[in-house]
Amino acid sequence: MGLLSIIRKIKRKEKEMRILMVGLDNSGKTTIVMKINGEDTSIISPTLGFNIKTISYQKYTLNIWDVGGQKTIRSYWRNYFEQTDGLVWVVDSSDLRRLNDCKYELDNLLKEERLSGASLLIFANKQDIQGSLSPGEIAKVLNLEAMDKSRHWKIVGCSAYTGEGLLEGFDWLVQDIASRIYMLD
Amino acid sequence: MTISTGVTRENSPFGRHKMEENDQPSAQDPAADAENLERKHAAMLERLSNRHQSRLSGKTDPNSATSFESTQLFLSQFSQSKLSIGSQLSRIRKQPDPTHKADLEAISLDISALEKLVAENSYFLPPYEVRTCLNTVVHLRQSLDEVTSLVIPKKKFSFKNKPTKKNSTAVAEKDAVLREPEKELNVGSEKLGFRDLSTAPGFRDRKNDVLVKEFSINELEGGQNGEFTLSNLRDCEVRLKGRLRALFMDKLINCKVYVGAVTGSVLIEGAEGCVFVLASHQIRIHNAKNCDFYLRVRSRPIIEDSNGVRFAPYCLSYQGIEKDLAEANLGEETGNWANVDDFRWLRAVQSPNWSVLPECERMGMVDVSNVGISD
Ligand SMILES: Nc1nc2c(ncn2[C@@H]2O[C@H](COP(=O)(O)OP(=O)(O)OP(=O)(O)O)[C@@H](O)[C@H]2O)c(=O)[nH]1
Ligand SMILES: [Mg+2]
Repeated sequence: MGLLSIIRKIKRKEKEMRILMVGLDNSGKTTIVMKINGEDTSIISPTLGFNIKTISYQKYTLNIWDVGGQKTIRSYWRNYFEQTDGLVWVVDSSDLRRLNDCKYELDNLLKEERLSGASLLIFANKQDIQGSLSPGEIAKVLNLEAMDKSRHWKIVGCSAYTGEGLLEGFDWLVQDIASRIYMLD
Repeated sequence: MTISTGVTRENSPFGRHKMEENDQPSAQDPAADAENLERKHAAMLERLSNRHQSRLSGKTDPNSATSFESTQLFLSQFSQSKLSIGSQLSRIRKQPDPTHKADLEAISLDISALEKLVAENSYFLPPYEVRTCLNTVVHLRQSLDEVTSLVIPKKKFSFKNKPTKKNSTAVAEKDAVLREPEKELNVGSEKLGFRDLSTAPGFRDRKNDVLVKEFSINELEGGQNGEFTLSNLRDCEVRLKGRLRALFMDKLINCKVYVGAVTGSVLIEGAEGCVFVLASHQIRIHNAKNCDFYLRVRSRPIIEDSNGVRFAPYCLSYQGIEKDLAEANLGEETGNWANVDDFRWLRAVQSPNWSVLPECERMGMVDVSNVGISD
């Protein structure tokens, strides 16, 4: 038995999941986390570094790592890859101009071996803004269909303002992780 | 905020432990050496902070002293936990037997707590400390990994073990943190294939123009007002009145941009020789050179890859602006216009890339009331 299985055991005892939220700056990661945690979202600064939120969700404890997406600090993302069960990639669906950057960064991330086992949830955020791309359109731009067949992934349209779509996304993510880690023994 | 790491302090002298190897290859007593190193580092921080103070000459930054103290506090808390974890590990390493299994689980949790401690303090820590501390966490995990494999012998018929020694590459990668940003992708971002970018609302590709747009409240409430874009403008004056949700700007040269209330965020990518008067919940400024910003902002404005940018308080007026600002929750001056974070600069010392615009150089109130409504 290696370290991994010990970690799995500890996790299983506590029903804990580690979730990494990444995406370009301004995509709405921090707003999403605050919203699902029921916190005030009216004053949020761009994230310098990262935040960790521990949230009870159904019978699980989610450890959510919300990492800043400014260009300078994207190279820090790799510090958080270890032991990630779920990856949430947040897209600002109204920022058409930077969709290419967005695709480039996501492609890079998915090459990362340490994340190869993580379930991937893509939030097409800011659906409340008129003129934003639909989840289907985002999926096309990001070429999600071409993703490695072994990856569990799903794209969900959402708005951190209205809350729409957030639960649908997290429900899927948590179920998917649970079915890999806790149910298959 | 005090954070308990769940680590108890150890009084016994610390034995030799693995994770110091990287910092101090020839150390006889790594614990003492580490302390030494930290003392040196603290002294350096103090020097930097002092130099900062004297450079400000008279104008004192109320944050720098406290942030220096909290960095000190953090470092001592961090190194205490680090040493305690290290000594527990080396004790188990000497007597690796299965009775230690529970201890190892506890240590694993301690390491997570330590990581969390860094996370929770990262907002005020200079990037150097964040990087070093995260490195330490990685090393501790590796030590734990090794000790674990001593305590719990591998099964005889196990499959091939993954090599755990990616130590050196991991460190090398982390040192690349401050490298130049990747070359911009040569993106044909003008077209997405199925939707033409230029159909999104905005002003694009203009020279020498006065561009005016008024956002009506009805539109906003009916969900009509979305984002607005200003792209590739030269020598233009732009006046956006009313409330809008998000504003994107790129490639602006020698422009004056006056904006009412943005309820979401403003993103600027590439501006030179411009004056911006903006009120918004968030403002991110990338690649700006020699620009003046008159801001009212709910959170801390940030700059990245910019220089020669100066900041002053918001100074726009038109008929009904008070109402627009109040309803966008921007009715009050927050003072945040001066709390700029430069993502390319250590926090402990004032960034050379931005400054407060001297009062005598600030322009007065700009009134844009009497310009016709057009689109
Ligand atoms: N209209 C709208 N605006 C949103 C939504 N979600 C976030 N925003 C706004 O988008 C801006 C950026 O949100 P943040 O949560 O700070 O973004 P982030 O991804 O954490 O950014 P970094 O920390 O810089 O990486 C803020 O002004 C939010 O109010 C949404 O669903 N709809
Ligand atoms: Mg954030």
